[in-house]
Amino acid sequence: MIEKILAAIFFPGAVFLLAASLFYEWVDRKLYARFQNRVGPHLAGPFGLLQPVADLIKLLSKEDIVPMAADRLLFTLTPILAPALILLACMFLPIAGPSGIISFKGDLIAVIALLSIYTIMIYLAGEGSSNRFASIGAVRAALQLIGYEIPLTLSLLSAAIAAGSLSIGGIVEAQAERGIWLIAGPQIIGFAIFVITSQAEMERIPFDIPEAEQEIVAGWEVEYGGRRLALFRLSKDLELILLSGLGAAIFLGGPIGPVIPGLEPVLYTIYFILKSLVVLAIFTLVRALFARLRIDQMVSFSWKYLMSLAVILVILTEVIV
Amino acid sequence: MSFEISIGPQHPIHVEPLMLRLSVEGELIVDVDVDVSYIHRGIEKALEARPYIQGLYLVERICGICNAAHSLCYCLNVEQLLGKEAPPRAKYLRIVVEELSRIHSHLLWLGHYFHTLGFETLFMYFWRDRERIMDMLELITGNRVTTSYNTIGGVRRDLTPEAEQRLRRTLDYIEERMRYYEKVIDSEPTILARTQGVGILKPSDAVRLGVVGPHLRASGVKHDVRLDDPYSGHDEIPFNVITWDTCDCYARVKVRIREVYESVNMIRYALDHMPSGDYRLKIPPFFKAPPGESLSRVEAPRGELVHYSISDGGDRPYRYKVRTPTLANLLSVVEMLRSRDGYEVYIADVPAILGGIDPCICCSARVMVTDEARRRRTIMTLEDVIKISRERGAKRR
Repeated sequence: MIEKILAAIFFPGAVFLLAASLFYEWVDRKLYARFQNRVGPHLAGPFGLLQPVADLIKLLSKEDIVPMAADRLLFTLTPILAPALILLACMFLPIAGPSGIISFKGDLIAVIALLSIYTIMIYLAGEGSSNRFASIGAVRAALQLIGYEIPLTLSLLSAAIAAGSLSIGGIVEAQAERGIWLIAGPQIIGFAIFVITSQAEMERIPFDIPEAEQEIVAGWEVEYGGRRLALFRLSKDLELILLSGLGAAIFLGGPIGPVIPGLEPVLYTIYFILKSLVVLAIFTLVRALFARLRIDQMVSFSWKYLMSLAVILVILTEVIV
Repeated sequence: MSFEISIGPQHPIHVEPLMLRLSVEGELIVDVDVDVSYIHRGIEKALEARPYIQGLYLVERICGICNAAHSLCYCLNVEQLLGKEAPPRAKYLRIVVEELSRIHSHLLWLGHYFHTLGFETLFMYFWRDRERIMDMLELITGNRVTTSYNTIGGVRRDLTPEAEQRLRRTLDYIEERMRYYEKVIDSEPTILARTQGVGILKPSDAVRLGVVGPHLRASGVKHDVRLDDPYSGHDEIPFNVITWDTCDCYARVKVRIREVYESVNMIRYALDHMPSGDYRLKIPPFFKAPPGESLSRVEAPRGELVHYSISDGGDRPYRYKVRTPTLANLLSVVEMLRSRDGYEVYIADVPAILGGIDPCICCSARVMVTDEARRRRTIMTLEDVIKISRERGAKRR
């Protein structure tokens, strides 16, 4: 019991996840900058590794403003709940072993549900701040959810069907038993859908529609500043880990790899981080390659193409299995 | 139900203060109101208080990006007043710098345009290549941004052979890069989705609203001051006027990319056929211009730029008037932003459409009368302005 609590707090729990999320943000920013022919963060710490930490500390020390028109309860609660939700979802990730700190039958569904609740949190955050840009951003976030949620769920579910298990641990173990990753096979389509819809979930280009800087300033987060914004930023960093980790676990075999007896947790963690960094690099590449879509184009794109592709994939998986 | 959102006066898409009041229904825009009067700088009035040679340095600062066009237009205007003409070599050198600054402006616009569409990567690439042009401008004129190259009666410096060699190499590089970017833009589905069919301006509307420059040519109307009214030896240099007939934001991108090729070729031709001789006339720094009026037109990167001056025989203009291309193009924004039957404009299209005209607001401030006591603001119409100026003119006499 004590061991479990310690694991949840330190490794591979909250402390590890928070530190890793800032590292992932650095990787994302640095790669994005290199793709764009820029240097990227390079001042704070070696190779600018501490830049996300510096940004976080700076934001935390800023003045805390609550607009008079804002809904005080929502304005206070959503920045706290958003990172908490994602942190909870990250606990399901198989980092130091084939299954996460929390795992039960069907925990994949729980993670998908948490992701949807996070978007609803964003909607509430935007509407609660009583700003016109924020309202538009919030509505866009909710509209976008209609677009990407089902393809995302279907892409994960078809992997679950292929592995014959609805739990993340089960999917990882099924891949270990077969000795082949799920991405080798028809699930590569699922991986592609997963990558695209993850961009929408994380509100990154080409789906950064809810916070489109050039259109609606910062969208739903326009009124948030100081420590509230810091918490939202943190939840986005955690989302990077969550989605790249989920992609690595479900499609790339998770933390499983050749091990030296006695060193399993360390090696598992290293494998997990390496694989999820590969997924993160793909996320970043997608971010560097596209322009932002319009909200109507995004929804019709996901229903026309992603949706039909996902349904075909599920049928295909069902037939093969 | 519609509600109003304000894009501006301070907003991430504007570098300069511009107010767009949008009435939106959901994501659709139903009505627009434009207000440019946040940055009135009084440059025209200030020009009346300066000798001609000092006005040259002020007029360049109307717009940082088209400074070469502004100073050229001013010089042509004053030269016309004096009844003098720049020597042939100066004309060609003026073309070189004018076209270089057109390339620089178009690259800047292209980068910024894709930034407004959320394509940050292309933005970085365009602006990186733009630096090469800035280096060339510095090499030739001595300044990176505000070039101060044109002067009354010619240009300030001659072109050295080494500079010419480096310029030719840079032009090759830019041309190659532009071909690559054109390929990227034509094959990138998200760019096409965001620009094709967005912000349609029919040729008839464009002409009716007095649109100028690349924006007009993107509506398929063949109009270019360089062709219609060759002002600096443009009749000797062969070039094509680029038009595109899809009349949308995609056309605006294509026209500007193609114009970069044309500018590159024009500079090459000018370098190949550079006349020898003086590069400036000897004109004393302070002089009196004979009474009269003069109008000059220049094809600035953003469109037709008009300068008009009246001289009363003194050493400074009696009246100086500048009509910038953005002012001519702003009306069309309102037209393009209104949703009509079968033509829908989304909030997300605002940056694409507004960006499409290459707005430069600080050139364009107009008169607005604010009555503090009655808390009322009225925008003067043309008739009001004419009436007031006649009354004031009568009083002065």
